[in-house]
Amino acid sequence: MTGLKAIYKKELRSYFFSPVAYVAIGIFLFIMGMIFAKFVEIYHSYKIANRYGAAQNITLDRLALFLYQNMAFILCFLTPLITMRLFAEEKRQHTFELLLTAPVKGFELVFGKFLAAFTLMGTMVALSFSYALFMIAWGNPDVRIIFSNYLGLLLSVGCYVALGTFFSSLTSNQMIAAVITFIALIFLWLLQTFAQGITVSFGPIDVGPTLVYISPLTHLNSFTEGVVQMKHLIYFVTFTGLLLFFTHRVVESNRWR
Amino acid sequence: MAGANLDNMIRGFQNRLARRHLPIYFERLERLMIEVRELTKYYGDRKAVDNISFSIQKGEILGFLGQNGAGKTTTMKILTCFMSASSGTVKVAGFDVFEEPYEIKKRIGYLPENPPLYGELLVSEYLSFVAELRQVPKAERKSKIDRVIERLNLGEVKNRLIGNLSKGYRQRVGLAQAIVHEPQVLVMDEPTIGLDPKQVSEARELIRSMRAERTVIYSTHILSEVAATCDRIIIIDRGKIVAQESLSGLGQTKTQRTEMVVQRVSDDLIAALKGISGVSGVQASENGRNRLVVESDSKEDLMAEISKTVVDKNAGLIRMSPVQLPLEDFYLSLISGSKGSRQ
Repeated sequence: MTGLKAIYKKELRSYFFSPVAYVAIGIFLFIMGMIFAKFVEIYHSYKIANRYGAAQNITLDRLALFLYQNMAFILCFLTPLITMRLFAEEKRQHTFELLLTAPVKGFELVFGKFLAAFTLMGTMVALSFSYALFMIAWGNPDVRIIFSNYLGLLLSVGCYVALGTFFSSLTSNQMIAAVITFIALIFLWLLQTFAQGITVSFGPIDVGPTLVYISPLTHLNSFTEGVVQMKHLIYFVTFTGLLLFFTHRVVESNRWR
Repeated sequence: MAGANLDNMIRGFQNRLARRHLPIYFERLERLMIEVRELTKYYGDRKAVDNISFSIQKGEILGFLGQNGAGKTTTMKILTCFMSASSGTVKVAGFDVFEEPYEIKKRIGYLPENPPLYGELLVSEYLSFVAELRQVPKAERKSKIDRVIERLNLGEVKNRLIGNLSKGYRQRVGLAQAIVHEPQVLVMDEPTIGLDPKQVSEARELIRSMRAERTVIYSTHILSEVAATCDRIIIIDRGKIVAQESLSGLGQTKTQRTEMVVQRVSDDLIAALKGISGVSGVQASENGRNRLVVESDSKEDLMAEISKTVVDKNAGLIRMSPVQLPLEDFYLSLISGSKGSRQ
């Protein structure tokens, strides 16, 4: 386990001693801040409309769904920025040779890197909790829904980071890693909407619903509504685990090439 | 048949168990630190290493000599378990690279061709990362890092970013990285490249100081370096070993030469010199007519005989000295044969 710890610490150090972490956190908080301001405005106008007898009765947590789905989407853009360097940079700097000739097991290497990137992304998500504090202070949201939202967000971030780690292990070019990760994430995200229209089926498999099931958005939606279900938890954990396993295979395969 | 197989399996298992539980016993027992047998490596269709075999004793310093692209780096990558061989067996410290790479990785230090450095870390941070990665126990980490910093004169750059260091310092940090955990086997790929002459001699001193306690294998294409530090050299050309000798035995296999300067050169003198038994040729050297080179195939020293002849002929002997066949000539003679076929 010393290997895992060493790699985890080194990765975190690299993130926080270079501008990467700060730029990513800054961009994230800036965009989220704008969305939150808009959110407050919308909520305010609803309340006024309500006071004058408008029919809609919108609650704060219902509206927060909109906030957190946006956040999950923005994290799709930021994940590649964070994960692109994980392995690509090691290959470019020739430090991959150091890692592969040190007594570190493949899974320690992959998991250490994954955990470091996840920690950074998690920090970002955690910082956005300040908006929730505003809501709790001035509104009356259902705190349980907010927590289930955060659980869903952290689980999706796990998926994103695992996907980014995987693509980073495939190339020595950071830009390529970032672009492929980004395209893959957007594709998975949009799958939920576009695949719904597909009615083709191969034997017992209905293509449409299967594709919808693959999209992380499908599973995140239940969390944003405040429903924590085992099947969705299992989806996220297996998605992340599978991609980390693939990464491990790719890293090990470097010996054979 | 099945019985024999089972027997083998059990023996292999016992062997592995014994290694795990009696490491010290086994390490003492095995004087052979590196053992390479019939190693071949293909990159696609290209044969980078072609059926080479060699072994290195504990405490030996071995120079690995060859042109660029001769297969030095590939061999080293296989030794350090970075890459796998296409065929053949490689054992380091008694462990097979294929079966127990983890055990080997614990025992080696490796300096690749490009030192593996993180530009965004401080030198001290980097070394402590490597020490942790190489499983140096926490209690010893600080003292070992301090020692290596002192040994390589890195004190003044200890707190600087690696990315801002000059080439020479980067190379030294790379060297520090390879020895910080005090490995049994040290593998270095062109360790003195990019160092200035003073640093080169310091690095050689460092390598020499490891004799006896560690096994060192390093590659270079600088011949004088090999002569200065190694116990033994292996010359490799286009994936094949073309010479494998201890350094002292190197020059002696070829002709001996004696160079002298005389005041008067005459045909008579040359004829007389050629008359000495064992002398195979006398050449007037190109630079200056009064310079002669006498070549002999004989194992005995002919200096006395030659000087007597020169004095007898009253040629006015000014200076006379044996010419050690330079390593360079030997090296070139080995690889030049194959030069024609190279495009």
